[in-house]
Amino acid sequence: MLSTLRSGAFKLAMFFAAVFAVGAVALVIAVDISVSRYAEQVTTDTLVTEATRLQAEYRRDGRRAILEAIGNAGGDAREFRYRLSDRNGAPIAGDLPRAPIGWGSVTIAERASPGDPPDAASKMRTDGVVLGDGSLLVVGSDSYDVAELRDWLNMVALWSGVGITLLALVAGYLIAAIFVRRLDRVNAAAKIVMAGQLSQRLPAMGMGAEFDRLSSNLNQMLERIEALMVGMRQVSTDIAHDLCTPLTRLRQQLEATRESRSLETHRQAVDDATSQVDEILAMFRALLRIGALEAGIGGDRFKPVDISEILERVAAAYLPAMEDQGKSLRLSIAPGISVRGDGDLLAQMFNNLLENALVHTPAHTLITVALRREGNSVIASISDNGPGIAAAERCNVLRRFYRLENSRSLPGTGLGLALVAAVAELHHAKLSVADNNPGLIVSIRFPQS
Amino acid sequence: MIFLTAMDGVDDRVEGLEAGGDDYLVKPFAMTELLARVAVLGRRPPLGEDLTMLRVGDLELDRLKRTATRAGQRIELQAQEYKLLEYLMQHVGQIVTRTMLLENVWSFHFDPRTNVIESHMSRLRSKVDRGFATDLIHTVRGSGYRIDAGA
Repeated sequence: MLSTLRSGAFKLAMFFAAVFAVGAVALVIAVDISVSRYAEQVTTDTLVTEATRLQAEYRRDGRRAILEAIGNAGGDAREFRYRLSDRNGAPIAGDLPRAPIGWGSVTIAERASPGDPPDAASKMRTDGVVLGDGSLLVVGSDSYDVAELRDWLNMVALWSGVGITLLALVAGYLIAAIFVRRLDRVNAAAKIVMAGQLSQRLPAMGMGAEFDRLSSNLNQMLERIEALMVGMRQVSTDIAHDLCTPLTRLRQQLEATRESRSLETHRQAVDDATSQVDEILAMFRALLRIGALEAGIGGDRFKPVDISEILERVAAAYLPAMEDQGKSLRLSIAPGISVRGDGDLLAQMFNNLLENALVHTPAHTLITVALRREGNSVIASISDNGPGIAAAERCNVLRRFYRLENSRSLPGTGLGLALVAAVAELHHAKLSVADNNPGLIVSIRFPQS
Repeated sequence: MIFLTAMDGVDDRVEGLEAGGDDYLVKPFAMTELLARVAVLGRRPPLGEDLTMLRVGDLELDRLKRTATRAGQRIELQAQEYKLLEYLMQHVGQIVTRTMLLENVWSFHFDPRTNVIESHMSRLRSKVDRGFATDLIHTVRGSGYRIDAGA
């Protein structure tokens, strides 16, 4: 219960309740004032009307009419009270106390009935007019009805205020309790994740679109983290396996070298061992580079680069090697296309793809390098009509160190495509490896620039 | 000034060169690589930077017309072959390593495992050396290549 009362949701509810309470009070006060003014207006209007009526009577029938009117109105419950006094102020008729000419007000004591002690004092509005013979006629009307109304309004205001406040407190508490409970569920799921259960997902909060969006985004984050963790474990194992081989070979070579007698053989063996070590180092460097790329390093140094030029340069570099191996290279590169990125990384990416096409296809293969615009994006593709890659293997080949069964004897570390994937990812480009019917086509789609 | 460093990220190289380095070598490097680059830097400005004609023996390179002739005979060169020959001739008598060629002729800051350079070089040699009296382009085992008129 305490956590609900301390929660942000409850505080927010209280804030709203306060706003409404203030608004309600202000409204009631405004109504109160408005009604009072209206009632006062009504009182003065009726007084004026009555005074005017009596003045007309006087003009028609003289003082006699006034005395008759005063006499006719009787009892404590009547609407008007009067006072008629002569020009010297001496009273002639009526029971109002002295009152001035024009507007005024007097207080008289009310009695429930004659003989009872005086009741609540009653304030009366008066209007005094001078008649033709110099006498003063004062008409008075009480505002008792208005006072009663005002009291009633004040009580309503008070009780409304209390009621609203209580309602706000209760509603606020209930809403906050719901929020807190839902949040606790999400927190509990998060704790499970932190304890190591990466496959746990957060429940939807069910309180509205924005909260569900939060849950959904957090879940996507968790999925990515889980994928990365799985990938990392995979890579560590792959690295361990794949570095064992060249290191073991190196060791064997060195052992054999020890046995040999001639200096020339030694020299040769040392050269061989050095180049083995260079290969291993190149592997490590490639791994580091892939790792750095996947961490996003270098992504903030992007500038517009002429990707047409890069692709042409890399393709031209491979042309002689292709011809030497009896393969043909066809270029279909649209000129002058620019994308945002890192020229060096893109060159390396295309190099790796062309290298793969060169190494993993037989003689007489036709390899095509293409670059074109498609709508808002730019698509680079390197394709061949060679043996291609089986559908099941196509996603595997992007993994570090992955070698297809029939390629294990060919040169290569198995890191080329992993680097391609990392560079494409860094450039926010979509990489796809597909069937070229026959052969393989690798496409990279760059987003609009 | 040559940067010798273990940091081989693209960023690192750019930062090193921007900081004022003339060249950038990543450890471990072959001693031959270092020696070759030092020799090249030591001869700054490179020979023939401003020259419109480069000559090695009876081989001439006209940099304005972008043509090559040897013993008066015109030699047809592809664009990258021309660049390769030009770079060699600018460093006449010096060893240029594979890495230097990759960086300066192709702007590749990585090492393609396939013999991209070798295939270009063999084509260049067949155009420049074959059928002429002497070989100008030499392979220096373990280091790289060199062009010169002497032996």
